[in-house]
Amino acid sequence: MSNFEHHIEVHNLSTWFGKKHILKDITCYFKDNTITAIMGPSGCGKSTLLRSLNRLNDLVPSFRHTGIVLFRGEDIYGPGFSVYDLRTHIGMVFQKPNPFPMSVRDNITYGPKLHGTKDEDELEKIVETSLKKAALWDEVKDDLDHPAPNLSGGQQQRLCIARALSVDPPVLLMDEPVSALDPISATKIEELIVELKNDYTIILVTHNVQQAFRVSDQSAFLYLGELVEFDETKRILEAPTDSRTEAFITGRIG
Amino acid sequence: MTTQSISESPLRKIYGRLGLKDAVKSRRHLSDYLFKIILGMAIIIIVSPFFFVLFQVASIGFEQVFGTGPGQGIEFLFTFPGAGLEGGIRNAFVGTVELILLASAVGIPLSVFGAVYINEYTQPGKLRAIIEFTSDVLAGIPSIVFGAFGFAFLVDYLHIGMGIVAGSLTLAFMMIPTVLRTTQEALRAVPMSLREASLALGATKWSTTWNVTLRSAFPGVITGILLAIGRVMGETAPLIFTAGNSLSVPTEITGPGSWVASMPYTIWAYISDPRQYLQEKAHGTALALMMMVLAIDVIANLISRKVTRRLV
Ligand SMILES: Nc1ncnc2c1ncn2[C@@H]1O[C@H](COP(=O)(O)OP(=O)(O)O)[C@@H](O)[C@H]1O
Ligand SMILES: [Mg+2]
Repeated sequence: MSNFEHHIEVHNLSTWFGKKHILKDITCYFKDNTITAIMGPSGCGKSTLLRSLNRLNDLVPSFRHTGIVLFRGEDIYGPGFSVYDLRTHIGMVFQKPNPFPMSVRDNITYGPKLHGTKDEDELEKIVETSLKKAALWDEVKDDLDHPAPNLSGGQQQRLCIARALSVDPPVLLMDEPVSALDPISATKIEELIVELKNDYTIILVTHNVQQAFRVSDQSAFLYLGELVEFDETKRILEAPTDSRTEAFITGRIG
Repeated sequence: MTTQSISESPLRKIYGRLGLKDAVKSRRHLSDYLFKIILGMAIIIIVSPFFFVLFQVASIGFEQVFGTGPGQGIEFLFTFPGAGLEGGIRNAFVGTVELILLASAVGIPLSVFGAVYINEYTQPGKLRAIIEFTSDVLAGIPSIVFGAFGFAFLVDYLHIGMGIVAGSLTLAFMMIPTVLRTTQEALRAVPMSLREASLALGATKWSTTWNVTLRSAFPGVITGILLAIGRVMGETAPLIFTAGNSLSVPTEITGPGSWVASMPYTIWAYISDPRQYLQEKAHGTALALMMMVLAIDVIANLISRKVTRRLV
């Protein structure tokens, strides 16, 4: 493994969907054991940036990019780089809870089984630790064989977090993970995210300035595909250097 | 909740009973009342053919299928026809089961994998549009055309000859458009984000398709298969020129030994015969066939519901 300072670094990344230029020359990095918020108004490219990091944009045939994304010092778009390895090391949580239509247990064991864990005891242990880390264990420990889609929205989203943690990735990508939830579930998950910071490098897309302020250590502010500011969250929110950032923070845009 | 409490409320019951009285009160009530009557009549017209058919078939064929006399009931299904076509319809019963099993074994995997390939591994575009358009046209083509095609292509051109192979392949061709299109619809209904969640865990495309996408689409796929089996089970026309007929069951893969009877063919043959007891046997066969289709329907529904409960 080559030397690297941060798990993920982005150098001069530009992306297109067909002729549409989405991200424009983005350079930033994501510190380890830190929550980095990606903020910005709708459609500015937050999800696109996030999905460039685990190459989920590759699913869109018209996707093109220039620039470099480094994972542990290696170019993830480079020849010979395994996208499957990459995604095993980078977990993802989506905007809408999307548990598989299987039991709670099968949702968690899906990833480990894919990567060759067959031992039943080991799988059981993974189920328990993942659910505990996602603060869901106490609520579902007696219903592990129940269908996951029967859980409440907040529980489903925590199950999705547990599912992402099941393969023990050092990095977690979260795309507006609470925006589809009720306020109480949202608060619970926000607290959970802060707790997870101790063990994971978290990149959190959010539309919500208050949330970024409560949760994140550093922030990237995107506007129309440009990285307008990238610094400590506190500094950006208390003293924005760009008028566009200030307009977003004060609610005049977005 | 609200609708339930309204429909159960005593007010509503009184309204229902006094419908006619209210109707005289105002034009609004009158048109409401007339509309209800028209809807009711439509329902009766829609469902009555089913009961007429069932009644007609059962009134003549009931004794054959449910009677306890010699050669009736289970014996009717499991005795081969004898001299003068006396006896049972084992040849047709076994023939239909074998034809359907073979047709399904060929038609279902082809169409399910075809649908998976089209939906999951190709981009929307001209090719997909052409395939979908052709399937839709094929699904609407009269079954006699499939029979003619089966004869011209399988029996004649490929020299397969009449028999169980040509017959079941023709039925398989008939199943493909239905299963293909319903599977496509079921796959389309699976949210993109489920596939993404699997891929984001490092799964391969194939593993995602098999373990997540197809699994989620399973109830829909089952429904399509059921529809297709129900449709081809009762078809006579595709078999007339392709399956031959037989008083026994096929013993060979090709040649006259592979000729096979089927229930719809037998119904057609017996009903065109003036002998009274063959009329009864034709109706008995029809009743048994209807019940088989119904049974498949119920079983598939149970499977689908069980899977749905486990999965969703
Ligand atoms: N699959 C896609 N194909 C084409 N355009 C897309 C696709 N996904 C996103 N876009 C476009 O990229 C832009 C940025 O989208 P996105 O990154 O989802 O924004 P955000 O997450 O900040 O709301 C939008 O204009 C959107 O329409
Ligand atoms: Mg987004």
